[in-house]
Amino acid sequence: MLELRNIHKRYSSIPAVEAVSFTARAGEITGYLGANGSGKSTTMKMITGLIEPSSGEILFEGRPIRDDLMAYRQRMGYVPEEPHLYSHLSGMEYLEMVSQLRNMERKTASERIHGLLRLFGLYSDRDVSISCYSKGMRQKVLLSAALMHNPDLILLDEPFSGLDVGSSMILRSLIEELARRGKVVLFSSHELETVERICSHVIILHRGKIVADDSIESLRTLMELPTLEGIFAELAVEQDSAKISREIADLIHA
Amino acid sequence: MRNDWAIRKLQFVVLFRVFWMRVVDLELLSRDADPSRLAQQFGTIFVTISIFFSLPVLLSGGGHLSLSGEWTGEHFFIETTMTIAGLITVLNWDSAFPDRRDVLVLAPLPVRPSTLLLAKISALFAAPALAMIAFNLFIGLAWPLLFISGSGGFFGALRAWPAYWFTIFLGGVFFVFTILTVQGIAANLLPRQLFLRLSALLQAGTLCLLLSVYFLEPSLESPASLTAPQNQRLLAWLPSYWFLGLFHQLNGSMHPALAPLVRRAWTGLALSTLGAGSALLLSYFRMLPKIIEQPDILPGARAVPWSPHLGNSLQGAITLFSLRTLLRSSQHRMILSFYLGIGLAIVIGYSQTRFAGLVPVKGGVSTTFLLASILMMILAVLAIRVVASIPISLPANWIFRVTEVRPAHLYQRAVRFSWLALGVTPILLILFGAFLASYPWPQVLGHLVTMLFLGMLLVELSLYTFQKIPFTCSYLPGKANIHLVFWACLLFFIRLLKDGANFESRMLGRRMSCILMILFLAVVAAGTRWLAKVNMNPAKELEFEEEIPAVIVSLRLN
Repeated sequence: MLELRNIHKRYSSIPAVEAVSFTARAGEITGYLGANGSGKSTTMKMITGLIEPSSGEILFEGRPIRDDLMAYRQRMGYVPEEPHLYSHLSGMEYLEMVSQLRNMERKTASERIHGLLRLFGLYSDRDVSISCYSKGMRQKVLLSAALMHNPDLILLDEPFSGLDVGSSMILRSLIEELARRGKVVLFSSHELETVERICSHVIILHRGKIVADDSIESLRTLMELPTLEGIFAELAVEQDSAKISREIADLIHA
Repeated sequence: MRNDWAIRKLQFVVLFRVFWMRVVDLELLSRDADPSRLAQQFGTIFVTISIFFSLPVLLSGGGHLSLSGEWTGEHFFIETTMTIAGLITVLNWDSAFPDRRDVLVLAPLPVRPSTLLLAKISALFAAPALAMIAFNLFIGLAWPLLFISGSGGFFGALRAWPAYWFTIFLGGVFFVFTILTVQGIAANLLPRQLFLRLSALLQAGTLCLLLSVYFLEPSLESPASLTAPQNQRLLAWLPSYWFLGLFHQLNGSMHPALAPLVRRAWTGLALSTLGAGSALLLSYFRMLPKIIEQPDILPGARAVPWSPHLGNSLQGAITLFSLRTLLRSSQHRMILSFYLGIGLAIVIGYSQTRFAGLVPVKGGVSTTFLLASILMMILAVLAIRVVASIPISLPANWIFRVTEVRPAHLYQRAVRFSWLALGVTPILLILFGAFLASYPWPQVLGHLVTMLFLGMLLVELSLYTFQKIPFTCSYLPGKANIHLVFWACLLFFIRLLKDGANFESRMLGRRMSCILMILFLAVVAAGTRWLAKVNMNPAKELEFEEEIPAVIVSLRLN
């Protein structure tokens, strides 16, 4: 179980995340939603240990992650929002490097890397430099790197970005399968339809604060709205989208 | 409504700024870094060198210095300025012609190709021009006083200054244009994919050529040498002498021996201008459409699958990552070749000059070879240290952060292993091959063990302040100046190294002395390692972001 307790993050006194508390349970897929700049990726980075919260505590299985960050990192897999990879390496070389950095046993690592490359359809391009990969191929490398050590906590920040329809379907089923096998999955995305379909529980962030934390079913009932998009628009979208679009058209027309 | 000229001027200024900033890869820099500081740092180095070279003239008032009828001074400054211009152009290699990013960003905008071309050329020339001016800031004021022609006087001085500045400018332009021509020919004749692959090799080759010519070209500055028939073929290939002739023509101190060189200078300048102009025009009218037509996903450049077992998994990961970065990143390869190229050129030049005064010890190892091996070992480790602090794909370093599952001291051990494998071992292997055939094996063994401990000592010294993974930490210009100190004191170091080589040669001749020397080096290396271990903060995590150290200045009020 992953638990965030009253997390704050400030950048030069500007608050990015304020009083964020939630729990993501094993076997569940927790959706983490918010508009651009709402503090989603900052929270994700704090959960990975990349940045430290200004205050508050992050616990994994009841222990603060900072108590033994190295042991925690061994059990975590992370797909970042941007597909930043070492593009001078090939897909195979990158995954081998990650397995070595994670101190995986060589034989196990080799079997898993070959398997993942084959299953993600990258095997024929395994020795090609990542600089020649499409966005979707890069995303598959990131997913392979995040999953190859069989982590207990999986953090996915926009994992569907750049994937084609077929790969998206595979990933969707994969996330569900991983949750069924007892993993803690925290999943951030702007694709509300996908979130609605696979997440059992959603957290909606607005301007760094949690505005909703419940199951989708309860939110629908509570807010008397039929879709997650409607709920999200009600809670996290301040602007009148029709009005803004009219204003943009007027501005460029003037 | 602005008129067309004003719009083009504004576009030119905006584009010039964009292209000029490309000289520094901003993505590499730390968030605290000031990109202009890097330029200032380079400028300061050149100005300092300029002051240093001007001191003899300034201190003597110019009057007491005589140039002994040879043109060594003129030639040295012209040649050095040309080489600086050439080196800066080589370092800006990738920004010479428009790339895919330029095309994709600028093509949809209403910018004329001619404005784009003009901004690109101006930005391209700005860096070498500034370097040439900085280097000659004091030299160009002081030294022309000594270059005044015989009929001299005040009017002679009035002529010598513009003649000098005009010559160094034309010399620099010649090198810049020639390099652009070579690059342009390759870009236009070769298929685009092949050019992109060969471009890095061509760049490294041009750099080596510039350095080799600078350090190895013979001294032919006297009229006798310039007119000697056996030197004519060589002079035809040495542009610095052509511009020496041009300087004398402009200065009014023309010697008949220089006439063919002057002709070559003007012809060379005309041809290089024509070549560069054609290459640039062709690149804009022929290459731009090719770049636009290029598919988004390129057919793969295949890496050779090679994953050897190197130490433990962390040592293997860091060593292979470092090796692949050095082999595949043109920026890192260039810096490495710069250090090794200069080292090699000094070694070759030193072993050829009589000035070195090093003769092989009878029955022992030649001190020249000993000097060469010590210098190459120092440069190899120094180059690895310098190049390792320059990151590659900085935003991608998150993977090292999220996989940091071991204590920091294990990472330092792995970095030590990688530097010994990539910096020290290749030099030892080269030395082994070069020495074994020429010298008795006990002395070869003694020297190799000495070099091994020297390499280990240098690695320990380099690691002293390096609590990071090579190529993954942002770069803060001006923080580590070890390499600048090294280059500034190079002549002094060579003198020291010569004494060191003589000392080692004597030690290698006696078994007991040799063992003692090796033991001493081993103890020093072990001591430095112990110091580095003590210095390292075990609680500290690896550094991924260079930060300006917080300095608190005490006002001493209490």
